[in-house]
Amino acid sequence: MTALCTTRSDRPYCWTDALAPGGRRAFFWLATIAIVLLFLGPIVILVVTSLRPGWAVFYIYRGTDFTLQNYRDVLATEAVIHAFVNSFLVATLATIVSIGVTVSSGYMLSRFRGPIPRAWFGTIYVFRTVPYISWVLPLYLVCYHLGIYDTYAGILLPHIAVHICFFSWIMKGFFDGIDPSMEYAALVDGCTRWGAFLRVALPSAIPAIAALGILSWLYTWNEFLFALILTGHNTALITVTMAQFVTELGTAWNLMSAMAVMAMGPAIIITLFAQKYVVRGLRI
Amino acid sequence: MAQVVLEEVNKEYGSVRAVVDVNLTVADGEFVVLVGPSGCGKSTTLRMVAGLEEITRGLIRIGERVVNRLPPKDRDIAMVFQNYALYQHMTVYDNLAFGLRNRKVREADIKTEVMRAAAVLGIEQLLSRKPRELSGGQQQRVALGRCVVRHPQVFLFDEPLSNLDAKLRAQMRIELKRLRERVATTSIYVTHDQVEAMTLGDRVVVMLDGRIQQVATPLEIYNRPRNRFVAGFIGAPAMNFLSVELQNIDDHLHAVAENFRIRVPQDRVSELACQRARAVVLGVRPEHVLMGEPRPEHGTGFDANVEVTEQLGAELLVAVRAGGTTVLASRVDAEATLALHQPLRLSLDPRGLHFFDRESGEAIR
Repeated sequence: MTALCTTRSDRPYCWTDALAPGGRRAFFWLATIAIVLLFLGPIVILVVTSLRPGWAVFYIYRGTDFTLQNYRDVLATEAVIHAFVNSFLVATLATIVSIGVTVSSGYMLSRFRGPIPRAWFGTIYVFRTVPYISWVLPLYLVCYHLGIYDTYAGILLPHIAVHICFFSWIMKGFFDGIDPSMEYAALVDGCTRWGAFLRVALPSAIPAIAALGILSWLYTWNEFLFALILTGHNTALITVTMAQFVTELGTAWNLMSAMAVMAMGPAIIITLFAQKYVVRGLRI
Repeated sequence: MAQVVLEEVNKEYGSVRAVVDVNLTVADGEFVVLVGPSGCGKSTTLRMVAGLEEITRGLIRIGERVVNRLPPKDRDIAMVFQNYALYQHMTVYDNLAFGLRNRKVREADIKTEVMRAAAVLGIEQLLSRKPRELSGGQQQRVALGRCVVRHPQVFLFDEPLSNLDAKLRAQMRIELKRLRERVATTSIYVTHDQVEAMTLGDRVVVMLDGRIQQVATPLEIYNRPRNRFVAGFIGAPAMNFLSVELQNIDDHLHAVAENFRIRVPQDRVSELACQRARAVVLGVRPEHVLMGEPRPEHGTGFDANVEVTEQLGAELLVAVRAGGTTVLASRVDAEATLALHQPLRLSLDPRGLHFFDRESGEAIR
């Protein structure tokens, strides 16, 4: 905050100071445009590809043939609808369950000392350190032997586990940033430990929880590896279904793009609505 | 209201002894201030009374009940925290009402109580605001209101004024005194600020390294400190300490240093008699370091050089160097003009002498 208020002479020297004031502004605009193009470019190509007929996808910068037929075709495919429903359900359920666990486990890691929090911390640490591609095959075997392969449980449980391992740490950080004396005040004011958590700590953490919810939802929505190995026909998710447009006869780029654009939709909507929370939550 | 009794209370974190054998009785309606440097165990002691820390050994009673195993909510206490600890997501009204709602008080009664507390503290116009919209002083008032509203047996204050700026702190100190007159609840107040300790407490408890050093009224602590630490900690500017030897000169007991001697007043002779010919520490407060030569029968003065002066308006604080390394502070009339390195003749007021054992630091009485 203070950095914004200080006068120019107070801030440390930056190499752009060598430029004239106008030049500096121009430089920042150019840099901004370059960065935006870098991120927007692939999306633009994707959207344009999704609007081109199949024969024109390799020449998207030429010709004026545009069509919505790709979207119609994709939406007419039952597997695609199925995948969207699956992905939505899996992402939402995994988020709801994992937030419940993440918030309480993050709170425990932040506020309590002793053997149980230490053991829990160690477990999470180990799982975070192991590259997660190395869990996939063991998880497949576990799911297979438990008889939950290609069921919702079979994809939900691993996702919830990943969420908990990754996001408990972030949640711990949020709670570390919230002054515990508020909870002490609540204890003195007549709350139990549990009551102080639910009625005082939790409401203060809502922006953080919202941010985390969005992050975990998007994580599962976008996830590919687990979806590829741990799901079959019954619980196919969008990322895997999208990849199935790559066939022996070639890749249906136009259809794949149309589906990809649709898959971006919910993510964009959620991000736009929740941006405020994400920014505030991550700032705590 | 109730009395609070601490019996042989200890707190240990592993091998660290944070609070050692604390014995203290806070009478019904009394305001006791725990004061000491940071890490002296005063906050830990308070938190044990509140139930926010477990007691390693010992007994704490509030009223007739032993509260060692009671959770904070059942101890019937209220606490003000250093950083106010207001519930950020609630309005001021809800902050005040929170404790009453937890006790299932009827909403109509809650309203009466909240309004009454708000009137006492002058925060009626803030009731619909959120804590973050308030200034530090207003937040502190709300925190006080949250205590007052519940009529608890005991108020606990954990450095409530240390987050405020100097001017506001002085103002809130006065408000706290005023509040005390209206709400006479047993209170334990923790601070590291000796001014707060002196001005607020019926009695002051000075702590160091987890142990109580002295429990007494503010004036007694100031005038008769039990050891060198208490003497140096209470009072600003701090007490001066000089190495002296007790000797008989012309049949009178004198405290003798290299460059001066001072006759020990007759009423102190008996308690110092056994220390004769031994080196002791002489403590003297700045206001007892006087300008000029003493009366001949009181001993001799000494030469000093002005090293630093601090003008406070009403008085002038002077730090001088005398006889080698000894630095002495003295309070002087503000009108006096003193130049740097100006030579002075100073003497000690025999009425303001404190003697401490060199090794143990205990006051010789």
